[in-house]
Amino acid sequence: MSTIRKLARFAVAGCSTAVFAQIALAQTALDLRKYNVPTGMEASPLFGALPFTQKVLMFEEFGTQPMPQEECDNCKVVVAPSDCNKSMSPDRIDAQLKQRLFPMPTRQANLSRPNPWQAKISECLGWQLKTSYIEGRPPGEMYAHQRYDEFAPKVYFQSVQSGARVNTGARDAAQMHRYQVGEFGPGGLYHSTASGSGFGGSTNGIEIRMHPKMPAQDTNSVWTFDGTLPPKLLMARVGEPILFRHYNGLPINVAANNGFGHHLITTHEHNGHNPAESDGFTGAYFYPGQYYDYRWPMQLAGRDTENVNATDPRAGMPDGAGGVIKIRGDWRETESTHWFHDHMIDYTAQNVYKGNAAMMNYYSAVDRGREGFKCHYADANNANLCLPSGTGLDWGNRDYDVNLLIADKAWNAQGQLAFNIFNKDGFLGDQMTVNWAWKPYMDVRARKYRLRLLNGSVSRYFKIAVVTDKGARVPFHMIANDGNIMEHAVPFPNAESKDLPTQAIAERFDIVVDFSKYPVGTKIYLVNTLEHRDGAGPKEEVPLSDILSGKYKGDPAVGKFMEFRVQAYTGQDLSMNPADYVAGKKKMIPLPKIPAADLAKARRRTFEFGRSGGTDETPWTIKTDGGDGLSADIHRVSAAPQMGAWEIWRIESLSGGWSHPVHVHFEEGQILTRDGRPPPIWERYARKDVYRVGPEPNSSGVVEIAIRFREFAGSYVEHCHNTQHEDHAMLLRWDLLNPGQTVAIPTPEGGWEGMFYEPTYVLPTWRTGSGVGPTPTTTTTTTTTTTR
Amino acid sequence: MNPSRQARFRYWAAALLAAMGICLMAPIAALAQSPWGRDYWPNVTLTTHDDRQVKFYDDVLHGKIVVVNFIFTNCGDVCPLDTAQLKRVQELIGDHAGRDVMFYSISVDPANDTPEALRGFMKKFDIKAGWTFLTGRPEDITLIQRKFGFEPAGDKPTAHSTTVMLANVATGQFVKRSPYDNPQMLANLLTGQLNPNSRGSGSRQSYANAVAVATDESAQLFRTRCATCHTIGGGDGLGPDLLMVSSRRSPEWLARFIREPDRMLAEKDPVAMAMLPQFRNLAMPNLKLSEANVAALMAFIDAESRKVMEERAAAQHGQHHHH
Repeated sequence: MSTIRKLARFAVAGCSTAVFAQIALAQTALDLRKYNVPTGMEASPLFGALPFTQKVLMFEEFGTQPMPQEECDNCKVVVAPSDCNKSMSPDRIDAQLKQRLFPMPTRQANLSRPNPWQAKISECLGWQLKTSYIEGRPPGEMYAHQRYDEFAPKVYFQSVQSGARVNTGARDAAQMHRYQVGEFGPGGLYHSTASGSGFGGSTNGIEIRMHPKMPAQDTNSVWTFDGTLPPKLLMARVGEPILFRHYNGLPINVAANNGFGHHLITTHEHNGHNPAESDGFTGAYFYPGQYYDYRWPMQLAGRDTENVNATDPRAGMPDGAGGVIKIRGDWRETESTHWFHDHMIDYTAQNVYKGNAAMMNYYSAVDRGREGFKCHYADANNANLCLPSGTGLDWGNRDYDVNLLIADKAWNAQGQLAFNIFNKDGFLGDQMTVNWAWKPYMDVRARKYRLRLLNGSVSRYFKIAVVTDKGARVPFHMIANDGNIMEHAVPFPNAESKDLPTQAIAERFDIVVDFSKYPVGTKIYLVNTLEHRDGAGPKEEVPLSDILSGKYKGDPAVGKFMEFRVQAYTGQDLSMNPADYVAGKKKMIPLPKIPAADLAKARRRTFEFGRSGGTDETPWTIKTDGGDGLSADIHRVSAAPQMGAWEIWRIESLSGGWSHPVHVHFEEGQILTRDGRPPPIWERYARKDVYRVGPEPNSSGVVEIAIRFREFAGSYVEHCHNTQHEDHAMLLRWDLLNPGQTVAIPTPEGGWEGMFYEPTYVLPTWRTGSGVGPTPTTTTTTTTTTTR
Repeated sequence: MNPSRQARFRYWAAALLAAMGICLMAPIAALAQSPWGRDYWPNVTLTTHDDRQVKFYDDVLHGKIVVVNFIFTNCGDVCPLDTAQLKRVQELIGDHAGRDVMFYSISVDPANDTPEALRGFMKKFDIKAGWTFLTGRPEDITLIQRKFGFEPAGDKPTAHSTTVMLANVATGQFVKRSPYDNPQMLANLLTGQLNPNSRGSGSRQSYANAVAVATDESAQLFRTRCATCHTIGGGDGLGPDLLMVSSRRSPEWLARFIREPDRMLAEKDPVAMAMLPQFRNLAMPNLKLSEANVAALMAFIDAESRKVMEERAAAQHGQHHHH
């Protein structure tokens, strides 16, 4: 007896000391590696999985429905989980998704009902909530939906943010193709939704696994929209206002997160032309049990001043029956490939990494998602660019138009998703995933495809090459940069870059690849060639030959990460030929022109991203208009641009060799210069919302952009999209005020008992900026840029 | 074996098996809780300012809401300011301090920072209960910094990270912030989001009370850089009351002292040297302010002083009136 007791005690003491010592030593060793990848962790185990042995998951559509006209009589509010450490239960979520929108949305935050989880929250917290509200939106007029009657939602969708679970196929019927049309129909390449059998025409049974050989994710390791995979896609039409009711179904206990992620969330539609109350302001977060109604007007910028009679046939949305519903606004502001993701203050990196990221395709007169139908290439009077897509539906064909969310991840010895929350220089995973699948393959037809590439990483930059199994570069065209179709298609390889340019976090590149140039059976790969040694920024572009020969052995995320297998195509490719739209030929979507006089008198603002603070050396800071290096304080307004006027924003990262992908909310801009010179060809014809500054390839220390804000007001942000920098705390707030507005927008703060407001203060330069007009260049400008 | 002995045998046998299991599967056991718990933090022995030996995990972190930063007592500029800033945060959280929120400052210069030196430093700042200063073996402190994700200062304490970690160790929440953030924001974090029992702190303004646009950067500067040590008409704090300071000192002297007090002290400026003993020998740190900052601050102090003097005159006038 006593021997056993002693043994047990010895075992407990001995092994915990040994384990501790081992971990402590390992940690030091890990951080001192030449390649700190994955950041501060051991390599992710592969459980015997081999690359390119599982099918990629295709995005699953949320599906929208018409807005109900009246309150539902017998609908129910969301039901709390029985366990404080668990998300809302899967069957309750499915029931909620089936149920019609309830209660009806309101212009101001709905404070008329309590948080339906109030009793459970009180029980889990151990104290009684005195007040609580069903909606988490900050109260009152400041976060009321702007121009609500004018842009009343026509359609809606809802989702519950929730822990990982098995997909039940609850959205099968919401897919526009209904698994009946084109390649999604029976016999098509994408009818079966996952590797293995039993996935025909349904996502029912899809688990959250990086690979079939790897373990399923624990409910608190991954938190996604609905709690399921595949990742979700919103199919939206320009001009059709959408209501997104986002439920927070995450665990009530903040500690129930398997080490990272926060149960408070706020959802940002990246580059949406959305009023601030629906922009996912970093301080406007909501709590488990609550919903937040995001209303996205989906209007073209310039709606108030351009094409006001809605006569331009290029400004419009597909009507579902072969026609176009014309809308107001500037058709050159048409957007295409977006994503939406969490923006929680201090926790954006963790929450997005954990699964709070969806994609969103905008469909319009020019980008209809239907090829061979009233094509611009056939008649210049037609608006439809006929990008590769398909023909079965009037709009939104995805047969040959594929969303690819590329992200590096890491997992622990048990295969559970893992994250190092302490390294604020950045977090790198060692394994590449596409649409959450580790190194997948995809069958493609021998024809043209549009690939919408999104960098969904926390800190990793990519440079992507497309090569055959023989190692030959595959030519392709970039047709959209940051989700905006460019004036001209850009061929690759080109004189400025052989492969895609550096793609920082949140950047989107839409490319058209023609697989018909290759025999059936050819394998074609996406290869990442940009090396990181740590999360602070990328280092060198690794020669493709060194990667393909296996000579390169450094950053484990450099290399092939996706395989395309060319299959026979018997159909007719009716999509446009991007070569007809290169510089000097036809135009896709011309850039909005900026009158020289407007530019000359534009307000200039300077934002220096760096590390040099007032007295503080370490945190990431932003100096606005020559002021102090400041870290984020959402109470502080750093800039108040003038509504409707062009401004010049100068973004810098000049010291320390740091890389920062800077994202400005609400509007895309045009890059005027990089280091005083014209930008490279892929940025010259582009409207951008992420501006890379730093020493990495294809970037520069300074970038100057022209940008203009219209139609909506409120509190927005600008920040570094290396989300570990953003969270620590490289973010600033800027407010768009309506003319004559003298009251500062107060600052939302929250608690379980409701949101409230705190006072706001401003920088002295908030209105004036740092000058007028573009920065004069003293050096001789050259007309060519070289690839660095 | 009687039933109770049998039960005990089963208990210890199970414990042995469990212990062996834990040994093999330690990370799985940790999964149920935060991975940033006992298995992550080094449980090294540190020495407190009052000569107690404490275990870093068991005694310092375990189960607590904590504020942790790194300092050294011979530090010229940043550490005194960090300390003053955190002192302000500690005041703002009121009776949470020492009850459910613990402050810790760990020396990165343990060779010099004996408990006695730490006590001297604390005395200068008039540090209140709920704030422990710690020193220890250099290699242990290096490991702790690494675990926090800070580049260890090594033998160059001036290079240490000034970042503050605000954490709820029980719930596994760790937030890094600058000590120069708005102290109210840090206080909100400690009593709000990091405290699951919080009802939500803050002033609970309603929208109806939204304030007019305030363009008071200098006020913000004063709040975040000066107010921890100085008042304007509120009496001496860690440093002197600045009411009407421009009538006591020349603008040149004042501007230079705000900008580089360390150099003036090194040069043994007589006015600066005379002030030192009046304020516990706590030297004013170099705040690394720009000339524009200094000008803005001087203007702010003047304007605020005038306001205070006017208010006092009005109050006095009112009193006379009553007579």
